[in-house]
Amino acid sequence: MTILLLFMILALGCFALLSRDLLHSVIALSALSMLSALMFTILRAPDVAITEAAVGAGVSTIIFVWAIRHTRRRSKD
Amino acid sequence: MKRTLFIIKITFTLLVLALAIFPVILSSHPWPEASRDYLYEHALTDTGAVNTVSSIYLGYRAMDTLGETLVLLVSITGTMGILINLGRESEEEEAVSFSLAPEKRPTNAQRTHLLEVVSSKLGPVVLLFGFYVMLYGHISPGGGFQGGVIVASAIVFLALGTETQTKLTNTNVLGRIEALSFLVLIVAATSGVFFESGFFGNPIKSGSSLSANFIILLNIIIGLKVGTSIAVMCIAMMGGRRGH
Repeated sequence: MTILLLFMILALGCFALLSRDLLHSVIALSALSMLSALMFTILRAPDVAITEAAVGAGVSTIIFVWAIRHTRRRSKD
Repeated sequence: MKRTLFIIKITFTLLVLALAIFPVILSSHPWPEASRDYLYEHALTDTGAVNTVSSIYLGYRAMDTLGETLVLLVSITGTMGILINLGRESEEEEAVSFSLAPEKRPTNAQRTHLLEVVSSKLGPVVLLFGFYVMLYGHISPGGGFQGGVIVASAIVFLALGTETQTKLTNTNVLGRIEALSFLVLIVAATSGVFFESGFFGNPIKSGSSLSANFIILLNIIIGLKVGTSIAVMCIAMMGGRRGH
């Protein structure tokens, strides 16, 4: 279970790095945070899981979406 | 040409990662046990906490918690400085705000009924959960920082969902709560000095049943500080500061 979650986290991280659309990257990062919160819960660290879910999936996603709205969404190169 | 360069880069990265990670995986070094046993024996009596995790992050490592709040304070100050200067330069263009009244809002493109209904109904529940995590941080998973971040996201939900500006989404009120709670944090940290337990020491002796109250107080203060500061930054990024 942990190995499966780790590979999914790795795949989401690679997608967030390689995606051309920044909004897709932000959503992938948010899903990555939720999966790592699940993994922390499985590994019996519930307080780290609460932090990861609140910071990674909540606040940082809001801030990233706002930053993307005020800049450009697609990367050009 | 470009594609082969890409493949070479990827293989090089994987090789470096393998060199860094495999010694950690393959090593058979036993886990350190001395500090674990020491904490199991002494953690609760040393700091007066009820829970070993809170005894570490508000007892032994309380200096780190103070440093985290200082880092947060500095970053919020920098962000607010940049945002205020941005508002001065381009006063008129693109003042899209979510927390303004509808007639003052320039465009309604970003605001939908779905957003209003969902976030205004979800906000109070998340706020209650954040205060639960903050207040019960000394006996259950959670604590000041976690509860504070959840409270901040609840305030952002309420700012997105409600049309009129309340006290809870007013940046002046939130900024004052932040400054006051940081002052109270410093005073509470210094209070241990007068009771022979040092900076950030628990002023109440650990034998009594009241000794966890210091941990609860620190959790509440840190939660208010973190929650209000992150909420101020998010509301200022939404443009709510220019509304009044």
